[in-house]
Formats: sequence, C-alpha cells, structure tokens
Amino acid sequence: MIPFDFEYYRPSSVKEAVDTFQALQAQGKHPMYWSGGTEIITMARLNHIRPGAVVDLKAIPECSVMEFRGHELIIGGCVTLSAVTGANLFPLLGRAAQGVADQTSRNKITLGGNVCGRIHYREAVLPLLVANSRLVIAGKGGVREAAIHEVFRGQIRLEPGEFLLQTMTDREYVSLPSVHVKKRQIGHVGYPLVTMVALKKGNRIRAAFSGVCGFPFRSAAIEQVLNTAGLSAEERARQAAGQLPAPPLTNAEGMADYRLFLFKQTVKDAITALEGR
Amino acid sequence: MTGAARYTGDALKPGLLHASLAVSPHAHARILSIDTSAARSIPGVRAVVTGEDFPVLTGSPLEDRPPLAIDKVRYFGEPVAVVVADAEYIAEMAALQVRVEYEMLPLVQSPLEAYKPGAPLIHERLAEYRRYEEVYPEPGTNVASRNRIRKGNMEEGWCRSIHTIEVRVSLPQSDHAAMEPRCSTAELLPDGKAVIHSASQSPYIIRSQINRYFHIPLQQIIVHTPLVGGGFGGKAAVQLEFLAFLASRAVGGKAVKLVNSRERDMVSSPVHIGLESRVKLGCTADGKIAAAEITHWYDGGAYSDRGPIMSKAGASDCSGPYRIDNLQCDSLCMYTNHPYSTSFRGFGHPELTFAIERAMDVMAARLNMDPLEFRFLNAIGPGDTTPTQTLLDRSTVGNLPMCIAKLKDMIRWDERPLMEAKGRFVKARGVCCLWKNSNTPADAGAGAVIIFNADGSVNLLCGAVEIGQGTRTSLTQMAAERLRMDVHNVSISTDVNTETEPQLWKTVASRSTFLVGNAILAAADDAIVQLKNTAARVLRLPPAELEVGGGRVYSKRDPGTGIEIAKIALGYKLPGGGTIGSQIIGRGSYAMRDIKELDPMTGKGKPGPEWTVGAQMVEVELDTRDFSYRILQAATVIDAGKVINPVFARGQITGGMSMGLGLASREAFAFNEEAKVLNPQFRTYHMLRYGEQPTYFVDFVETPNAEAPFGLRGIGEHGVIGMPAALANALSTATGIPLNRLPLTPERIWRTVHDTI
Repeated sequence: MIPFDFEYYRPSSVKEAVDTFQALQAQGKHPMYWSGGTEIITMARLNHIRPGAVVDLKAIPECSVMEFRGHELIIGGCVTLSAVTGANLFPLLGRAAQGVADQTSRNKITLGGNVCGRIHYREAVLPLLVANSRLVIAGKGGVREAAIHEVFRGQIRLEPGEFLLQTMTDREYVSLPSVHVKKRQIGHVGYPLVTMVALKKGNRIRAAFSGVCGFPFRSAAIEQVLNTAGLSAEERARQAAGQLPAPPLTNAEGMADYRLFLFKQTVKDAITALEGR
Repeated sequence: MTGAARYTGDALKPGLLHASLAVSPHAHARILSIDTSAARSIPGVRAVVTGEDFPVLTGSPLEDRPPLAIDKVRYFGEPVAVVVADAEYIAEMAALQVRVEYEMLPLVQSPLEAYKPGAPLIHERLAEYRRYEEVYPEPGTNVASRNRIRKGNMEEGWCRSIHTIEVRVSLPQSDHAAMEPRCSTAELLPDGKAVIHSASQSPYIIRSQINRYFHIPLQQIIVHTPLVGGGFGGKAAVQLEFLAFLASRAVGGKAVKLVNSRERDMVSSPVHIGLESRVKLGCTADGKIAAAEITHWYDGGAYSDRGPIMSKAGASDCSGPYRIDNLQCDSLCMYTNHPYSTSFRGFGHPELTFAIERAMDVMAARLNMDPLEFRFLNAIGPGDTTPTQTLLDRSTVGNLPMCIAKLKDMIRWDERPLMEAKGRFVKARGVCCLWKNSNTPADAGAGAVIIFNADGSVNLLCGAVEIGQGTRTSLTQMAAERLRMDVHNVSISTDVNTETEPQLWKTVASRSTFLVGNAILAAADDAIVQLKNTAARVLRLPPAELEVGGGRVYSKRDPGTGIEIAKIALGYKLPGGGTIGSQIIGRGSYAMRDIKELDPMTGKGKPGPEWTVGAQMVEVELDTRDFSYRILQAATVIDAGKVINPVFARGQITGGMSMGLGLASREAFAFNEEAKVLNPQFRTYHMLRYGEQPTYFVDFVETPNAEAPFGLRGIGEHGVIGMPAALANALSTATGIPLNRLPLTPERIWRTVHDTI
C-alpha cells in the first residue's frame, strides 16, 4: 500500500501534460510523470519517493505510436515492453525488453519508463544506444529531438518538466546482425549480472552493457578494443574488462569479481558470434 | 480454479479498523526513547501501542519474545509499535512517523559466531525466562537450547573406523514464501468474548496463548481460520494475533485487521531456520559406519520460538536413516541477530539431512563405493536402534532398503554412470536418503465429530486447517471408507472455528491425517454402534448381526434384510407414532501414546510414533564455463505406509521437491554487514519458477504403521527433506569439488571452484 495521498492527472495532449506538470511543480507538489507506473508504485510503497502528484502520459496519442515512418522506426514512450517484443519491429530491442522483469510486469512496464527509470539496469536502452537512436523529448519549449548519447549518459538527463515522448531508430539498424545475452544470479527472471547487447555495422562491433556497473553504458574505449584486429577474442575481452567506466557492481545479486568473470566470457562469446556473421 | 477461495484478509466488515507495524531498521540496538506523538497527531489515527503497554514475554517452549520490542531490538524488522487507524494507508503513514532513538549494540551474525566465547549476548536474562516443554537454555551464552545424543561407545567406534572423514556445511535462513501473507483480525466483544480471525496453522494454539497472556477464559476465545494460502510451518507461530489483539484492546475492542506486506511477511514475521554443522564419520573397511560425531548449530535468530524443538529434531534424527551404534551429537539452537525462525516444512530435517548426506557422499567416494549401494548397506531397519535408542520394528521404521531398490529401478541407476561429460556440459546425479519423526509434544491430539443428516449424509467436524495440502478432503475419504458410504455424502467445510470443531493440536508435522484420522475412525466406529443399536431395535435383530454399508444397516447373514440410514439417522419414526433412537452423532478423539521426552544428557527417549523413510535423486546438467546449470530430474520413493489419496500424495511429494530445490539452489536471505536483510522482496529473493521445474518422478512403498489409520505415515513434508543434499551431491560430482554451502548459485559454485584452486 502507498502510505500517502497524491493527485492523479491524465492529460490527453503533450501541451496539456507539460502545462499540468509545470503548474503542479509551481504548487510545490513535486510531481512525477507516470507511464507504466511500476517503479513509482514500488518506491512509493517503500516510502522511498513521495510525489504529491503524478501526470499519467498514457492518454497522449504520440506516446503509444509504434510504426515505421519512412526510414525511422518510431516507438512511443508508453508502449509496453510486452508490446515491443510482440510487434518485433526491432528484434534486438524485443529481446532486450523480454529480458526485463517477468511477463506480468512487462505488460505494465513501458519503454519510456524503463529507459528513464531509477533502478540501475534500464536494459531496454541498450539497443537504442548501439543503434544511435534519437529521442523525441517534450518540454515547456515544445518538442525537441536529440541524439540518445547527448541525453542518456548512464541515466536519462532531461531538463525539469521534460519527458521522453518517443524513440526514433534508423531502419537500417533493425536487421543488422546482433547479439543479446543476459546472465542472472540464477533462473530466468531477475536483474542482470551482465547484459550485453551488440550489433555489427559494416565490420565494426558496437556494444552496450547493463548490470556490470551501476548504470547501463556504451563505451568508445571498449568498442575500440573489441574492434582491434589481430587480437584473439579472449584477449579483447580481457582488455575490455580493463576499460569499464566504473568499478563492477556488488549487491545481493552478485559480487564484482563474478560479474567481471561473466563480462569477459560474454564479450568473448559475442565477438566470436558476430565475427562469424 | 474458480477464484472462489477467500483468505482471512479478503473479509470486509463495516467499521473495521486497520493496524500497521513500525519496525526496527537495526538488527541489535538499545531503545533509548519512542516518540509516538507525530503518529498520533495524524487524522484518522486511533491508537499507537508500544512494548511498554504490554511488557510480557511470549513464546513456546521458551518465553523470550515481547510481541513489541522492549528495551532493545534484536533483529532487523522487529516490531516496535503498532498503529491503529481508520484506513490501512493512514496506519502505514503513521507507522512511519513513530520516532525511535536507538543506540547500536554489537552484532551476532551467525550461529558459530554466537557460540564463540565472549560473543555479544542477545538475551542477557535468559536464566529468568519461563520454560514449557523440552528446552535447555544455557544462561550467560547465546545457546537457547542444547540437546545431546550419547549412544554406544565412541572410543570403540573410532577404533573400528579404517576411514574417517569430516564435513562442514552451512545453509542460510530463508523465507516460507507462502502465497498468502500472514493476516489476523481481532475483536473484543462487550460480553467478554475475543474473536480472532487468522491465517494460521494453529487456531487452537492461538486460543491457548491468548488465554495464557490475556487471561480470557478459553471458551470465550473464538478463533476462525478460513482456507489458508499456504503455510509451510510459518503460520504455526503466533505473532500477529497478539498484535491484532493489543491493537483491538487499544481501541475499545473494535475489530482491527493487521495484514503483512510481503516485506514484513518475509522479515518481521518468523522465517526458515538456518544451520551450520560439522559431521565426522568413521567407517570400517567393508563400508559399515562405525562412528559418527555431529554438532549442529541452528541459526534460530533473535528469538527461539520453535527453534529448540527443531534443534531437538536435529539431535533425535541426526544419523539420518542409518544404523550407527556409536554416535555422539550436540544440537544447539543459537540466538543470532537474524530474524527469528519458526517451524518450516521438514522441521529441522532438510538441514540435518544436508549435513549427514553430504558426509555420506564424501564417505562413499572415499570408499570408492556406489553412493546408493553405500546407503543400502547402512540402511536402518527393524531391530536397529535410533539415536534416541528407540528399538525399531517394521511398523515404526518402514522399509528403506525397498525405497532405495525402487528408486534405483525408477531412475535406471545402474544403466548410466554417475557423471557424463559432453563438451562443456556435464550431466551428474546425486542421491540422498531421508527419515523423519514428528517431534510432537507427548500429549498432541485431535477430536472429530460426525453428524448424521436426515437423508443419511454426514457432516464432518474437525480442527485440521486446509492450507492447500488437501487434508480435509483426505479426511472425508477416511470417514467414508470406515462408514462404507459414498464420499460425496460426506461434507466438510473449509473453515475451522474453535467454537464448533473439536481441537487439533496444530496442522503441522505431517500429523493431521494421523491424529485427526484416528479421531475420525473412532467417531465413525461410535456412529456405527449407534446406527446398529437403532437398526437392531427396528429390525428386531441383535446389533452384532448387523453391518453398515452402502447407506444401509443390514443383516450380515441376509443382506436383503435391512434399513436405509436415511430412515434412522434422526431416529426411526414408528408408523403409529413414537420414535426409536435419536440423531446419530459419532464422536471420537485420539492422543499421542508412548512418546517419551529425550533425556537432555543422553538423548534417550522416543520423539514420536513412527518414522517415514525415503530415497531421493536429483540429476543436473552443469555448464562448466559459467557454472550455470539445469535441474533435469528429481525423483522420490517414499514409504507412505498407505497412500490415502494418490493424487494428493504425489502433489505433496512433488511440491516438496520443488520447494527443496528452491532452497538448495537459490532461496536465501542476503544480509549486509549490519545484519539488514537486503532482499525481502520477490524481485531479489529468487524462487524456482515455472519453466525451471525438472521432470518429477514419484513412487511409494507401503509398509503399514500399526498405530495409524489405515497404516499411513506422514508424507506432507518429506519431499523437501533430501533435495538440498541430493542437489549438492549431484553438483559436487559434476564439479569434482565438495559443495557444502547453500544456496548453490552459479556464483557460489564458481567461487568454491576458484578458492580450491
């Protein structure tokens, strides 16, 4: 049970959502944008967050789009992970989405919510990072577009009052050779010890990771190592482990040294798999 | 599946108030002050109760636990206050506003740490605690209870031992993880009655405990237990009932509901006991066990609850189902700053079995002997004595060699090697034997009433709680069998009400079909006598010449002569007026016979009426690169005495195996250095899920137990017992490294393999 009262708004347009949020902000209600709601419920139950109001984005038509428009695959922030996997327009994204939580939760969790979440892992962002997707962001100045790398560095970095409206991915990426591997403590459901998403564009491997460190990342340094000719896959994996952007994570799911062991194994396997294709 | 089941928490009632707990964020700290003023000032809050309001210690067998902490807290999540409010969210909001000032105390994080000389004391006044049943605390230490087994001559045993091995094992505390979190409501009526609704396995114990601590006469306490959504032992403890009672008392007796959130249910309410253990085994050249020395340190947590009885079980069945004539065991229930533990499916046996069965496998490997053959060679049987020096016969011990033989056939043991490698994958099998006695109190008992209706159908009244195990259905089958009537004419409700159903000690220890079954047979026999007496007068035949069956009472010699039960169930109306006989109401009861308390110095005694024995196997496929594995098969052959309901029996054994594999492979509380539980939620507390289940194989041996209805033996817990050991044995074989610590996550295996190198 959520141990406090909060207001609930369900605007039906981008402008109404932004205005409502701004008004609530001005009233000191510390509003939050609401999409699937799973994280807000989780943290509010434990009294870790106390929004005075939530602004539900699901009634905004642009947030529920999932289609190709010309060269771009557009997916709205409120499309659920189950729907992303079901439609399978971007198979790598579908696989990464399917690795998150369990089926019941994925029926609620949305792409926007997962990417913008506070829980470390945000695995749905990984395919967007390797595909150089663009994010459509709504805010008081209207709607803007930005490269994902400008806005997502470890976590989403939006201006106050902004929300993620849509993601745009160039069609050429959705059918490139790709790899998705998720290693958990045990079993088929749970947070990652290592999640790796990689694709091969031309002769270059691009890779993004979650679970290894306290945030998801794509690293130029690691990709340089992965694409160094003349080194064995094992050696490249070993060197990649030396280029992590932060120390490996230790928590109840697993310890840093085991994550590192799995990271190296996963990278080695991915290189072998992608170079053969 | 109809969705028609209603749990305790589903009941709505106008005017119902809601309670919520304020709990300790620290695992061991002195309480300097509690400020409830902010909580009280929230609109809708009716009362805030703290430990000072009820400075009484509760617990059985040892009174060591205040329902709300007094002076200090001893575990993370311990209740310190209960708030009563008009709505649940208000109560929760206010509980967060209870301000407690703490002063940290040094922590005890494991039972072995607790046992070290000079360890911080968790209960300074242990000597003063009142005791019931068998419990042997050692004041000035963290030992809540110690049982000893001293059997045979150790010196002689070690002299005869050509091979000796030593194994140390540990398994962590974990959760019962029942689908329905615990929930209790309490209402104190103006006429002095106390009405409790509770998701409980022990409605009659709730009644006696409320009587003991609140001085309400037994007949004035009414406990209702509707269908319970799984218990696994965790709902045998009395905890929320006291708190709901205190909450109701604080608001003038109004009905108050207290329901656990999942996090509270996992940590604030009692948990599954942990164990650290050391086993030394000695063996003759020809593979006979000559000596064993065992020490168990159970992790009972902050309060003892049923821990001392589980550690007693750890002593009384310490040898596993093997003939060991020279045996020494010390089994201790230790206090630690972990959540407190209570009974868990298997009651100390999954733990003790993990210890002895790892040792058995290590010894078999030392002897270069087939692990099943080694167990077969040492299997206990009629004429042998148990660790408690009970002389066994066929009725009390059943037939373990037959279980082993049947298991061997079922899994085609001899057709494949213990281990097969194929590339990076290794398939391996691990086996285990088990036994269990119930360790019930000497006076545990049950009653039953069979009420006949006008159409000859019957209603069955008894105190067995339906927790998903199907006991109440099995009990109607027993009544129908004895009365020789169609089972559809026997009805039983899913609810237990202590005001109308005769007492059953508790729905635990795989004892319900035994205790209540015996009571039902007595009640049925009583009803049969009444039926025959009435029919005899109507038919003008001696009662001894009559038989009951098929809805009739009839002549043995001339079955065509008889009368329908429907005509005499409420008395036989004579055509010209007048009645012969009156309503048939069968009554029966049963109490344990012949249980003897264990001598605290030697362990001599008798812990229960019979043992259930069995043999189990687990097959795994290990990926030697990252140490992940799949559980391919799990098998159990158990001596059930007599299978009453084959579908339920298989269900119980299979469910037990699934639970045991969960414990073995992943279920564990993760503590940080402050003894806070890091994973009190299913997102981080991992359980075996659909899609991860192995193929299950179940079969039975039937060696009747003379004391039990239809010769049955308890089987409700037994599927769990050997799974941790069998999985560890399989994975130890697959890796070639002894794996003696649970849970067996891939990381644990990786770490063990690397540490060894």
